[in-house]
Amino acid sequence: MINRRHFNKILVGSVALSFAACSSITSVSLPTDKKRVVIVGGGFGGATAAKYLKKFSPETEVILIEQNKEYYTCPFGNTVIAGLNDIEYIKHNYKTLESKYKIKVIHEKVKKVDGETNTVILENGEKIAYHRAIVSPGIDFKYEKGYVKGSEQYSPHAYKAGAQTLLLRKQLEEMKDGGTYVMVAPANPFRCPPGPYERISLVANYLKKNKPNSKIIILDQKNKFSKQGLFQEGWEKLYKDMIEWRSAEFGGEVLEVDPKNRIIKTEDEDVKADVLNYIPNQKAGKLAFDSGLTDGDWCPVNTKTFESKLIKNIHVIGDASIASKMPKSGFSANSQAKIAALQIVRLLKNKDIVNPPKLANTCYSLIAPNYGITVAAVYEAHEDGIIAVPGAGGLSPMNADESYRIQEAEYAVAWYENQMADIFS
Amino acid sequence: MKKFIIALFCLCSFSYATEYDPIRGEMLSLSCASCHGTDGKSKTITPYIAGMSKTGMYQILLDYKYGKREGTMMQKHVKGFLDEELEQIAYYFSKVQR
Repeated sequence: MINRRHFNKILVGSVALSFAACSSITSVSLPTDKKRVVIVGGGFGGATAAKYLKKFSPETEVILIEQNKEYYTCPFGNTVIAGLNDIEYIKHNYKTLESKYKIKVIHEKVKKVDGETNTVILENGEKIAYHRAIVSPGIDFKYEKGYVKGSEQYSPHAYKAGAQTLLLRKQLEEMKDGGTYVMVAPANPFRCPPGPYERISLVANYLKKNKPNSKIIILDQKNKFSKQGLFQEGWEKLYKDMIEWRSAEFGGEVLEVDPKNRIIKTEDEDVKADVLNYIPNQKAGKLAFDSGLTDGDWCPVNTKTFESKLIKNIHVIGDASIASKMPKSGFSANSQAKIAALQIVRLLKNKDIVNPPKLANTCYSLIAPNYGITVAAVYEAHEDGIIAVPGAGGLSPMNADESYRIQEAEYAVAWYENQMADIFS
Repeated sequence: MKKFIIALFCLCSFSYATEYDPIRGEMLSLSCASCHGTDGKSKTITPYIAGMSKTGMYQILLDYKYGKREGTMMQKHVKGFLDEELEQIAYYFSKVQR
């Protein structure tokens, strides 16, 4: 006999099944009564684009495909590594985008975006047709010099947030006092130019409190870095002698790495690490390569619309795109996503694009929980790329007083929380 | 009556120095939202700017741009916009419901 509870269970099951079947059928072919935009990648770029497409044009069907149900942000990931926040602080999901903005969110892996048939092909074989697609796959890593896939379990890069973030935190917590934390910082261009140096700052903050006899060595694959003067001023002030930065030309260049034993061979010596945070050199996410959107390591785009220069009707935003002067930051991806969404809505309605679009970026970095620094710029998209508007933007001042640094740290947190709300709620 | 119409016309032309272009206003507002929240509806210590008076906001933006007001960040951003663009931004946020 079927009792009421059991019956309800069956009912819910069959409703879910028929919904799944329906959504599968409607997904395959294009709707005739409205336009459809399919977005691949639910990070800063993709999730923002989904929300703003609906904001600008509620009648457009928006499908967001992201393989993970939860998204961990790289921004503020460094505070998790250094024990200032729990991983929950950087965890976000897509429920509000689904319920409030009526975006269809599909958690599946994408095989490729096929520009010839205007379809997104999922790993499960399903094909979803689009009028326009947005690809926001983020970064992938170059495995070289002995750092191979799987090396992360010994020497985490933690440059995609989540499990790696927690692993690096654990290794830091388990490191002995008097140990050596070594970071290999990547060559340009890479995600979040000040990111590695903020991480070093917050790791130093942790070590100073918990393991004060330890030291940090940065083996850099370049000769200068973002906000260098401000970082070095902060390190001198807060973590005197704890941090040693070696530029590429003065001992920083890595020749070979043994990730399991945490030994890095350089021209001068073999550096032995107790914790090795190896951040590999980077390129556009795999999906961009599989979909034919790359020229070299990154994706060329028309910077007024972010439409690929190689394949029509596909727009590439965020870290994977070549956005001229804009750094590969979460803020940039958010700014690019909104412009791409605005222009796509106009293109779908056969209207002129907004010209010239303006974009912006601000990168906050924490040198300590109460010590923030920034760099900012405003950009304008021209025929030959995006340029920084002369006279605007700039760095935090050197030699600023304590209250200024506190204020910037408070605004860093405010930026993060408003930015998350701008994307996910 | 004629005088009244002329007075009204003057008032209008004063408060609407530049014609509002909603598309451009919205486009220019987008990067503000990255710090101030969607449509300027901040949930943090960053000022809530949705529904601010157009004149008041425009004046604040000009003050940042021309060095009469200081902040950690705003003066760096406003220098990237023409006065007319700042006015469009002020228009946009004034029209958003608080």
